[in-house]
Amino acid sequence: MTPSPPSRARRILATLTRHAGTFSLGALFLILTNLLALQIPRLLGDAVQLLRDAETLGSAFDLDAIQTLALTITGCAVAAAVVRILSRIFVFNGGRLIEFELREELFAHLTTLDVSYFQQTSTGDLVSRLGNDILFIRAFYGFSLLNIVNTLVAFSIVLTQMVQVDPQLTLACLLPYPVFFLTMGLFTRALYQRTQDAQATLADLSARAQENIAGAAVVKAFGIQRQESEAFRDLSERYVHANLALARVRGALFPYMGLIPAMGTLLMLALGGQRVVEGHLDLGAFVTFSGYLVALAWPTAGIGWALMSWYRGTAAFDRVFQILDARPRIHDAPDAQPLPLGPDGRARGEITFDHVSLTYDDGTVALRDVHLTIRPGERVAIVGRTGAGKTTLLQLIPRLRDPSQGQLLLDGVPLQRISLASLRRRVATTPQDPFLFSTTVEENIRLGLLARDAEPGDAPPSRLSLDDAVRIAHLQDDLTALPEGLQTLVGERGVTLSGGQKQRVTIARAVLLDPDILLLDDALSSVDTRTERHILEELKTLMQGRTCILVTHRFNALELVDRIVVMDQGHLLEVGTHAELLALGGHYARMVERQRIEAELEDA
Amino acid sequence: MSAAAQPANDSTTAAPLETRDSRLYARLLAFARPWRALFFTCLLLLPLASLVALIQPQLLQLAIDDHLVPRRWDGLPLLIAAFAGVTALNFALSFLQLYLMDLAGQRVLRELRCAVFDKLQRLQIGYFHRNPVGRIMTRLTNDVDALQEALSSGVVTIIGDIVTLAAITVILLVKSWQLALVTFLAVPLLLALSVLFRRLLREAYRALRAETARLNTSLQESVTGMSIIQLFAHERRSRQAYTDINDSYRRSAYAVIRWDASLYALVEMISSIAVAGIIWYGAGQALEDVVTLGVLVAFIEYVGRFFTPIRDLAQKYAVIQSAFASAERLFEILDSDETLPEDPQPLPLTELRHGIELRNVWFAYKGEQWILKDVSLHIKRGEKVALVGHTGAGKSTLIGLLTRLHDVQRGQILIDGHDIRRYRVEDLRRLFAVVLQDAFLFSGTLRENLTLRSPRVQPEDVAWGSQLVGLQRILDRYPDGLEHPIRERGANLSVGERQLVSFARALATRPQVLILDEATANVDTETEAVIQHATEAMLAQQTSVVIAHRLSTIQRADHIVVLHHGQVAEVGTHDSLLKAGGLYATLVRLHLHAEDHGDRQ
Repeated sequence: MTPSPPSRARRILATLTRHAGTFSLGALFLILTNLLALQIPRLLGDAVQLLRDAETLGSAFDLDAIQTLALTITGCAVAAAVVRILSRIFVFNGGRLIEFELREELFAHLTTLDVSYFQQTSTGDLVSRLGNDILFIRAFYGFSLLNIVNTLVAFSIVLTQMVQVDPQLTLACLLPYPVFFLTMGLFTRALYQRTQDAQATLADLSARAQENIAGAAVVKAFGIQRQESEAFRDLSERYVHANLALARVRGALFPYMGLIPAMGTLLMLALGGQRVVEGHLDLGAFVTFSGYLVALAWPTAGIGWALMSWYRGTAAFDRVFQILDARPRIHDAPDAQPLPLGPDGRARGEITFDHVSLTYDDGTVALRDVHLTIRPGERVAIVGRTGAGKTTLLQLIPRLRDPSQGQLLLDGVPLQRISLASLRRRVATTPQDPFLFSTTVEENIRLGLLARDAEPGDAPPSRLSLDDAVRIAHLQDDLTALPEGLQTLVGERGVTLSGGQKQRVTIARAVLLDPDILLLDDALSSVDTRTERHILEELKTLMQGRTCILVTHRFNALELVDRIVVMDQGHLLEVGTHAELLALGGHYARMVERQRIEAELEDA
Repeated sequence: MSAAAQPANDSTTAAPLETRDSRLYARLLAFARPWRALFFTCLLLLPLASLVALIQPQLLQLAIDDHLVPRRWDGLPLLIAAFAGVTALNFALSFLQLYLMDLAGQRVLRELRCAVFDKLQRLQIGYFHRNPVGRIMTRLTNDVDALQEALSSGVVTIIGDIVTLAAITVILLVKSWQLALVTFLAVPLLLALSVLFRRLLREAYRALRAETARLNTSLQESVTGMSIIQLFAHERRSRQAYTDINDSYRRSAYAVIRWDASLYALVEMISSIAVAGIIWYGAGQALEDVVTLGVLVAFIEYVGRFFTPIRDLAQKYAVIQSAFASAERLFEILDSDETLPEDPQPLPLTELRHGIELRNVWFAYKGEQWILKDVSLHIKRGEKVALVGHTGAGKSTLIGLLTRLHDVQRGQILIDGHDIRRYRVEDLRRLFAVVLQDAFLFSGTLRENLTLRSPRVQPEDVAWGSQLVGLQRILDRYPDGLEHPIRERGANLSVGERQLVSFARALATRPQVLILDEATANVDTETEAVIQHATEAMLAQQTSVVIAHRLSTIQRADHIVVLHHGQVAEVGTHDSLLKAGGLYATLVRLHLHAEDHGDRQ
């Protein structure tokens, strides 16, 4: 079902082909730049030769010719500048465009991956791959390409021109270049490896710092600042050492690059000098040759840079492709159909857990053979101790996870056969950990509705207004207390809401969707009992005829539900009404008993 | 604003750029002080290397004038050997200088990085609430990196560039002042261009940096909230939002490319035009034997070396500018006065002897919005105090004040009769163990989360704490027990489990005072019973301050403090307060009412 991902080379080429226009233009301008810029050494040589001839032969000195040469140099320089600007803009913009597209592709892909993926991958890692690795890929397409083309073009132009003047000398002058290329390659490899080491150390350092900052409250509360500082100091020291290893290579590389043109001049002095003395070579040609050899220095070194961004780029490609190749485990089956809706445009809301089991990747068993049918419009509470599998059970319904065995049916249709979008449009969830985006309170509440408005689909409009949702979630008083009411920014760049406030915003968010199935995963734990009661009673009216499942640790809400499900260690222990379960005298009865005794104690 | 404050204020906000830069430079130099010998060596090596490199064109000139033009071989090998020697020397000097520079630079950066980190440890918690993690991380990584780049590629080599420029100027003037003046005609143009472009580039880079930060923040948030995005079918809108930021990021990048490419190409162009000028003017001179051919060729060589540093000057200036901007942001952290003032001669504090007293405490996070108003309270050693009140009554704030997460604005908090500001913050906080609402776990092993890598926490403390809170049940699930890896923020544990860990972690420090902040809210009845039972045992001899929902906890407290709108409304025992029939009695009635399954309401 999942075809093996295309190879790296194929992908790189495909991207290049897509931007063939931009890069071809860039290459064309690059060729023009070199053609124009490399005229200058020859023109210089000609000028010197003119002067030399005037001196030795005493021939009439042609000032006009010299001035023409000077003007030609100026013309070449101006034209070269124009095409050089264009070539860099085209090539670098091309790289930026690829970066842009890759980011888009990655982000879009991330939105398709499921909960289990994000649980396995740290946020920092993903952010770093989208942050740093993409930069290397951009450099791969922009910088590396620029250098490779530039080197090829410069060498072919220079060689053609040198051979015309003196093939023998050309050959002699080129002798050390294989050595230059080889050493540049070696330098680059060492540079790359040591950069990698330094980067890895930096990653450790950053991870450590990130946690320290994110956990500032704990660090302070436990007074462990000094240990933290010392650990950071040690990591810093490791980073310094990695950097110094890098500095030794880098320190040699830059002077080495300066060495290359100097070696060219040296060669010319030794080989060309002799030929000039012997009369085999004009002084003008000598100057031209020297100019060419100096002009070749940058393209020679450029191969090193190209190699560097090649190494980095390919490694970065692999890391980025790892993300792109991660297949969502939860996705639409090819035969997925929209959720069948009744004449009122709503799902009936019958949920069947058909012998469902779920084992996490780390081997933890979360659900064991859960068999349960929740009737349309039923209100069910799931109780049980921590780790019993309550949250996991809820996550199965909007398919945040899929069961390892067994299946779920909604209104008699297996969930796997229902398209994800149509399923999630009818199910609203308030998760255990309330998560708000750093935008206004209003946008946080309208989150689902905004999305639905963008893709209306077949859902009937919500019967509720924003005000209703605010009222049901008991947010009106909080909103008046906030500096800008509904428009107050929350989260990272705004006001920090209390845990209870956050939970109530997420409730408003879910309620506003007017869903057919409402899932509350311990959504009121940080809300005081009185407010909780208000909310639940409002919900009771609102959710008339809608299926509602709530996970709870508090028993004061349980008289508001039709049935209670008791879970432990992934097992479904008891199912029934409050009265039935009490009569059963099992787990539930014991839990209630415990709370009753507690209440008695308090009364005493 | 008073008249006296005016000039001082002006000097900090409206200081000209150069003054600001030089001040930053001075501060950076202060960090470099311990390695001044190394820096000094670099400063000596740098002009030496630059000057050695300038011998090469001179040798070329000699070769042309004395050997190539007269076609005399003798002596040329010597010149060639000299050329080779100079080249080798230049290589060696450059390498040495670059390496030593890095050596010194790395040391300085390490100090700076650690200084910022240490400072972050001392900043008040409010700083972290206001500044997102991503932004602070950018300081510690990107901004320090910008400085690193400036050090290894900019700041010091710029001195070499200046020496090179000065030397070439002198050499050119000596060789032929007329030709030199022709060359220098290009300099004003070059300077004008580099000033213009460095301004454009600076703006462009600033915009790009801002966009990069936006891009990363948006990504980080989307990744964290991905399940919400998916549950609410918000993928397309999230993608659109990201695309918008991504697009403006790309646009700012285009500006950088445009100015960068133009600057690079234009300088190259001016350099070539100057060569043309030399040919034009020099030809006449050569004919009149004012200059030799060798001088002309050497001149052209020098001109090439003259313009490259000027071009790089502009680029290096950009690097240095961004480094300065980074340094400024780093110093902003270092200068932040949001640290807790520490007493220079702190009193010793190892245990709580008598008790804690809040004396007319006032506190506001912002301005005059008082969260606590004139709160007075006495907690004797061994006592158990329950804080009761509605959300927003000021309970959490009060707890934050005890551990000096914030300092009171009016009044004072005393421990054993002394103001808590008289003690070292570290000692003070060690007195307490806090179980926060948000059970923040670190990535690492379970053991590391229980000890927080503190050498003071012994294995028996961990075992004791885990035992008391019933963490054993969770540990038994993992074959690797305490070595079980915990993911970032404890993502692989349930909320309840995370709380158990944070509870055990608090107990393992064997605190003098235990502070619980709604720690039991998310734990199921059975787990809560385990914790309840365990803490009872410990709280019997332990001073504690508890914010609890459960009446059973409140009931067992020696004192119940009822907070209402930031004020102490009532203080007393469960019975006395019930009898009084005040706020507490109402709270209890409501609570019981809600807990009782009836729907009498």
